[in-house]
Amino acid sequence: MNSHKGPFLGYRARFTLTCYALLACQVALLVVFVYVPVFWAFSKSFFQFEVGSDSRFVGFANYGELFVRDPTTLPSVLHMMFLTAFAVCVRLSVPLVVAKLIHSLSRERGRYLFRILFLVPVVVPGVAVQLIWAGMIYGDRGMLNELLRAAGLEQFMTGWLSNPATALVAVACVGFPWVGGFEVLIYYAGLSSIPESVTEAALLEGCTGLQKFLRIDIPMVMSQLKLILILTIIAGVQSFEGLFIMTKGGPGFKTMVPGLWMYFNAFSYQRMGYACAIGVCLFFIVFGLTVLNMRYFKSTAELEGRG
Amino acid sequence: MASWGTYFRWASLAVVVAAGSWLLWPRSGDDSVTGIPQRRNYGGGVKHVIKFVPGPQYMPGTTPFGLGAPLRGIAEVVRDFEERFPDTRVEFVSVPGVREYLVTQLSSGNAPDIVMVNVEDVWVDVQKGWYVPLDPYLEAPNPFIREKGNPSLPGYEQWWDMFKYQAISRGKAAPDNLNYCISFDMVETGIFYNKDIFREVGVEPPETWDDWLLSMEKVKAAGYIPLLMNRDSFNDWAVDLVFDQLYCGILPGIDLVQEPVREAYLQGYLDWDELCFLFEQGFFTQKDPRYCELWKHLHDLRQYCNQNLMGTDLAREFVTQRAAMLWMPTPFTYRLTGDRQLAFEWGIFYVPQFTRKTSDYASNTPMCVIGGSGTQYEVTNSAFGDTGDPATSERLKRVMALLQFIMVPEQYERVVNEYASLLPNVVGVPVLASIQPFADILERQYTTTKWIFTFDLKFADIQARMLELYLNDGIGQEEFMRWQVDNLNTATRNLLLRKDIDMARLEKRWRELAPVREAMEGLPRE
Repeated sequence: MNSHKGPFLGYRARFTLTCYALLACQVALLVVFVYVPVFWAFSKSFFQFEVGSDSRFVGFANYGELFVRDPTTLPSVLHMMFLTAFAVCVRLSVPLVVAKLIHSLSRERGRYLFRILFLVPVVVPGVAVQLIWAGMIYGDRGMLNELLRAAGLEQFMTGWLSNPATALVAVACVGFPWVGGFEVLIYYAGLSSIPESVTEAALLEGCTGLQKFLRIDIPMVMSQLKLILILTIIAGVQSFEGLFIMTKGGPGFKTMVPGLWMYFNAFSYQRMGYACAIGVCLFFIVFGLTVLNMRYFKSTAELEGRG
Repeated sequence: MASWGTYFRWASLAVVVAAGSWLLWPRSGDDSVTGIPQRRNYGGGVKHVIKFVPGPQYMPGTTPFGLGAPLRGIAEVVRDFEERFPDTRVEFVSVPGVREYLVTQLSSGNAPDIVMVNVEDVWVDVQKGWYVPLDPYLEAPNPFIREKGNPSLPGYEQWWDMFKYQAISRGKAAPDNLNYCISFDMVETGIFYNKDIFREVGVEPPETWDDWLLSMEKVKAAGYIPLLMNRDSFNDWAVDLVFDQLYCGILPGIDLVQEPVREAYLQGYLDWDELCFLFEQGFFTQKDPRYCELWKHLHDLRQYCNQNLMGTDLAREFVTQRAAMLWMPTPFTYRLTGDRQLAFEWGIFYVPQFTRKTSDYASNTPMCVIGGSGTQYEVTNSAFGDTGDPATSERLKRVMALLQFIMVPEQYERVVNEYASLLPNVVGVPVLASIQPFADILERQYTTTKWIFTFDLKFADIQARMLELYLNDGIGQEEFMRWQVDNLNTATRNLLLRKDIDMARLEKRWRELAPVREAMEGLPRE
């Protein structure tokens, strides 16, 4: 008798199992390269630990030093807050205005050209940008000082990155006029997805120009604003490479941020345990800010009552 | 079906890629020009491939300051070595000059066999087994000298005897009293000055510190930057020189330990244990008038320097005659001697000494030596990677043979004197004429201490940062002193934890020297 026996598992089950198997590979890699180092760092924050040496359990001593004894903690956190707040203000406003201007162009060809123009700076590596600013713009004989000299304002010439009074602001202003990059495209995509019916209704109600931008466009791109806000905060708390390249946190500790202080402790001073403690605190700061953001900053869908 | 336009775009892209590849492809014969051995596929007879970081001064194929022919001296010496040892190949490698890189390589056992790094940076890691103590080799004959059969030659009995600057070389011993580096050559700093500007302004190379400040005032009034310095030269050279001027006079009362081997050259040198003890006695705090004065003198000097202490291209300011003086180490001589477009006459003088007019605590002695070992070679744990044990490693022997071979005078001269950059540290090898002034400076007494190399890297970094801030008027002297004392407090505590310092012995000696100190003024007192 030639009885036909079907597969042991049905198509649906096989498909699901395959998905799980493929996901398991990704999860395994994620665990090995992300979760294990994070937990390792968390545990090492309770140790006095140097690369190549035995580690010694010190309990909360590293955290005690960070919160109580280290005189750089408070200033570096304040610097980080200033730079992050500055970046948030800039990245939530300037690229949005640019995106709106591009979106308002009547010809598609013009919109395409400007989108490309504003995207091109993205291909310049961040390190190159920092070096250009440090050398060609803020340098002793850089563009800024030479412009001041040409304008007869020699008294305002200074070492922008070495002067304690100007260093932090100079670092914050890197990237001026802050219009190149993905933010413009993200906002542009948001603006493009506003339904025609909404725009037409606004026009019928006499809502045009700035009023339309503030009352219609901004609420409709709230999801994009929320995304940029989260990304900017995370980058503001975590990133330090620009400061490392331009000032190394100096003069003194005038541009030091916790991320950079963590790097110096880990790799220059070899105080890995202390660096891990800083890293753990940074993790909780980012985590806390993201949760706050998710909870209190409403997206477009939530504003429309769909969330 | 693809259109002609599509074909054209793809063809254009292919042409651009091909042209770019052709432009960037290394020229054939580059090897012969640079002298860098470019072997990658070694034959079966090669047992040892030694990775060697010769350092920026000797890296084959590089052109120092963009002047002259590419360097090939060390490559030629290594080629001779390879001919003698056909089972060995040497690869020159260039590594990033950052400590982070080396630490990760060493901890994984992947560092080059011979690295070039300031040995003070090595000291903090010696207990980790990353570096090979070289004393057994230095105390044994150099086999390449021995084979010449002439017992009168330095190196016949001990490799150590070949070193010209004995005390500096031996003074590089780590806190565990073992030597981890070969002091390959010597370096010193000096003030390079523009003779034309000096003539125009009507000043001469100064004899005293006060004259120097006065000269710089005139140079500044004439519209030039008087002196070019960066943060590191303040933090390293200037601190040590001024410290020496203020403390040299009281050394008989505070120098508690005399190292028998090093004393011949490092007369009265204050080591880390002495500095720790003195700090506990109130030295180097707000109660120590000399220490407070030290920073004030540096602040006075800063008024005559370039605006940005983190500026990297000081040489450009000097050669374009925007500045009258530049404080630089020996190798800069080559930059000036080799520059055919240089439109002025230049000279070198050393930093002038303090007088009683400068400070009540001035020792009235000439400014001391702050230079010393230039290129310092260390042998890493990779060198005994074949057995994991330095005692049984054949590979380690070959690595050491390479260093011993390069230090033989006739080989050494081909390397160090290929161009006028650093001073030879092998007996019998002449000094090139243009850097002779630095050899003369090196004859002076050595500094009282080297602050940034005494404690850990965190101490040095924080001192540099806060000094920069203080010099740029970001903080006042009082706040700077608070930082500095906190910094010293942390550094000395770490040192006491790391090194078992015999404080009782220092205490005893301190009491013995009490009568000597009675006659001294300006000591820290309650």
